Amino acid sequence: MIALFIKFDTTTIPFKKNAFVRLYVNKNKKKQSDLVISDRIGLIRSIKNWIGKSILFIITSASTFAVFFIFYFIFKDALPFFQIEGFKEFFTSTRWYPSGQPDEFGALSIFVGSAIVVLGSIIVCVPLGISAAVCLSDLLSFKLRQIIKPIIEVLAAIPSVAYGFFALVVFAPLLQNNGGFVLSVGTWMILGPLSILFSVLINEYVSQLLSKFIKINTLIRSLIFIFFVSLFIFFTYVLALRVSGIEIASGTNALNVSIILGIMALPTIVSVSEDALQAAGRELREGSYALGATRAETIIKTVIPASLSGILAAVILGVMRAVGETMVVWMASGNASKIPDPWYNVLEPVRTLTATIAGDMGEADHVLGSSRFHVLFAMAFCLLLFSFIMNLVSEIIVKRSRKKLGQI
Amino acid sequence: MNLSTRKLLDKSFSGLGLSSIALMGITLVLILAPIIWNGSKAYIFKGTIEHRKVMFDHFDRGNYDKLANEKSDVNTTRNFIYQSLNNFDEELKLMDSSERRKYRSEYREFKKQIKELLGPSPTDRKPVLIRQQYGQNRWDRTLIKLHEILYIQEWDYSNPDSMGELVERPRIEEYRGTALEAIFPYLENNIESMMLPKWTFYWQFLTDKSKDAHIFGGIWPEVLGTIYLTLGAMLFALPLGIIAAIYLCEYSKDGKIISLIRICISTLAGVPSIVFGLFGLAFFLNTIQVSESKSVLAGALTLSLLILPTIIRSSEEAIMAVPRSYKEGALGLGASRWKTVVTIILPAALPGILTGTVISMGRAAGETAPIIFTAAVSVGAPITLLGTLTDPTPALPWNIYNLCTEHEAVDEIRHVQYGMVFTLVAIVLLLNLVAITMRAKISKKLRG
Repeated sequence: MIALFIKFDTTTIPFKKNAFVRLYVNKNKKKQSDLVISDRIGLIRSIKNWIGKSILFIITSASTFAVFFIFYFIFKDALPFFQIEGFKEFFTSTRWYPSGQPDEFGALSIFVGSAIVVLGSIIVCVPLGISAAVCLSDLLSFKLRQIIKPIIEVLAAIPSVAYGFFALVVFAPLLQNNGGFVLSVGTWMILGPLSILFSVLINEYVSQLLSKFIKINTLIRSLIFIFFVSLFIFFTYVLALRVSGIEIASGTNALNVSIILGIMALPTIVSVSEDALQAAGRELREGSYALGATRAETIIKTVIPASLSGILAAVILGVMRAVGETMVVWMASGNASKIPDPWYNVLEPVRTLTATIAGDMGEADHVLGSSRFHVLFAMAFCLLLFSFIMNLVSEIIVKRSRKKLGQI
Repeated sequence: MNLSTRKLLDKSFSGLGLSSIALMGITLVLILAPIIWNGSKAYIFKGTIEHRKVMFDHFDRGNYDKLANEKSDVNTTRNFIYQSLNNFDEELKLMDSSERRKYRSEYREFKKQIKELLGPSPTDRKPVLIRQQYGQNRWDRTLIKLHEILYIQEWDYSNPDSMGELVERPRIEEYRGTALEAIFPYLENNIESMMLPKWTFYWQFLTDKSKDAHIFGGIWPEVLGTIYLTLGAMLFALPLGIIAAIYLCEYSKDGKIISLIRICISTLAGVPSIVFGLFGLAFFLNTIQVSESKSVLAGALTLSLLILPTIIRSSEEAIMAVPRSYKEGALGLGASRWKTVVTIILPAALPGILTGTVISMGRAAGETAPIIFTAAVSVGAPITLLGTLTDPTPALPWNIYNLCTEHEAVDEIRHVQYGMVFTLVAIVLLLNLVAITMRAKISKKLRG
């Protein structure tokens, strides 16, 4: 009997039942059949528990199955293309004539198009996103943050096709008709603040140099400052004037798409890097303040280096968003499969992987099983692999940074 | 470094941050403003008599007597146009052939334009296409058309260094000294009494079927298709997502398998949406064949995979946010684990779960790429509930793309495109607004 008790105590039967059984057994020591029944109830319960748990587990692993299925089915349909056409043409040729006689599947220019668009969007969204994230985490009060956060959420919520519509119907005609004006406004917006920042820095440097020869007072400092500011502003003005003479042949080009994709990737970058900045912790900031650093110095020299890996992960996620975006590039990139000349000329139309898949599938549908059909899966597989690797990298980065911050 | 410089740098740094936030806000306004402004014009606009005719003929709306009165008014003012056209026809017959040839193509163009502006003349045979049976429906389009009639637009390519320039010259110059000369000032002065513009609130734009490929009527089939797709996706994704979140939060222990599952969830979140579309085509349609052709079912299944990670993550967060004491209290009172989850944790986490659900509903409603190959068609009737299992449907996101790139009269139905984008954005933003207010309430409750 005692052995039985011990066995009971260690089984998975809930405590309440267990206690009841023990009491019951103590009173009627001879009725062993009751104990047997309780044992069976316990067994049934633990089996039920186990079954329930496994059902839950199977449902939970649905997303795992989904990922494996996606990889398998995309790969299965991508494989025939490489078997028929081989790798060399696909990755090295720029001649994309899937419906020509003979058909040619050189996708290099499409890969380059994707890369150009993504690079452009990074240039747009990374500086803007990181400074916005810094602002949100360190500069603004709680109340203001509550007002501004919905702006970011709305930016993230607007459907991609609405962005595409905007790019095609509003932004592209604007670029086409008033291209020079838009470009010069852009130049001012980028170089205007930078020129003031630079002149502050250079002013400091020059007055330090001069202080060896003459005594520097406020008047001289401000004179130097004004000189440099006007120099930079003049330079910006000349550049903007040059730029405003440019005529854009077609509004649907890489620049248009880059800007819109940059805006679309902004919310991801802002929210993820804000989390990273917050995770850097109060102690770090307070230590820096205690050493006499200003807020800007604290952020640039302490907080950002500490959360650099998180920011990197944010940038990667933003890049993934831009790479995988379909509708905007399909509608507004111009869909010309050639490498721009020179390659950084963003005013020329480009063609990206996603747009090619979306656009060509409609025609390829009818010829199921041809390499024209499978080449699109090959492209999708490249996209999938890229996003998978990027995702893993960002996960690893985030994990490492968490460990590191934990150690501090 | 000098202290004043450091302070200045600090200030300018703050200014940079603030201006980036401001830039973001301005961008949002710049994107939303044209969509909202032009989109609302699909609902509220100055409708002409032709619009009321369409409404009466095809949607049984409007008062017959009033319309008949308006029609007779309009016909008396329009009569002059038709008369002078007839006169000019007579005049043409009297001309010798070389002179006639001079007018021929230009005059044919002119007649076509008049027909597009006012509709076919009462004596003409009724055209087959609906779009040819009526003139301009909207006052803004009428004015544009009128301008096209009054001025011939030509591109000037004489300067090879720059792009071609648009040059306009009055069309009246072509017809000096003929019977048509008087028509131009008459058109310009009497256009209002010929079209009778009236402010119209056409809310039925949302609930009307489209006529003649969206040139008339509303967007109901698209709206309905979007609703079906979204709800279908939620139907599959919601139970899967919530159960997965429960398992991950309450039952799982950290191990190799769980971390694999987590990696897979984040991978799934990162898969490009177009790849989901291809997968839906390859798996749901070509392999297990949930339906013969594209169908709402296949589209909803594809979309549900797309939003699954979002739902799992937000539900997990909501479950984690439930205070531990709740759970411990329930377990301490002797409830089993499952009972604790169902009766204590889920109700407490429900608002948070709903918030995530609503946001992912917005995502599902707006996604285009996954439904291109699995569910969407360009034109179609409103779909029935049973039809969702077998039939494809028009859907807002896809038709926005389709109308603004592939439609034959892209410029003339701008208002429909804007109206669709406006409707879609309104649906998505409304869902997000619900989510935001819900979350604000929750955080207030949690703070006490």
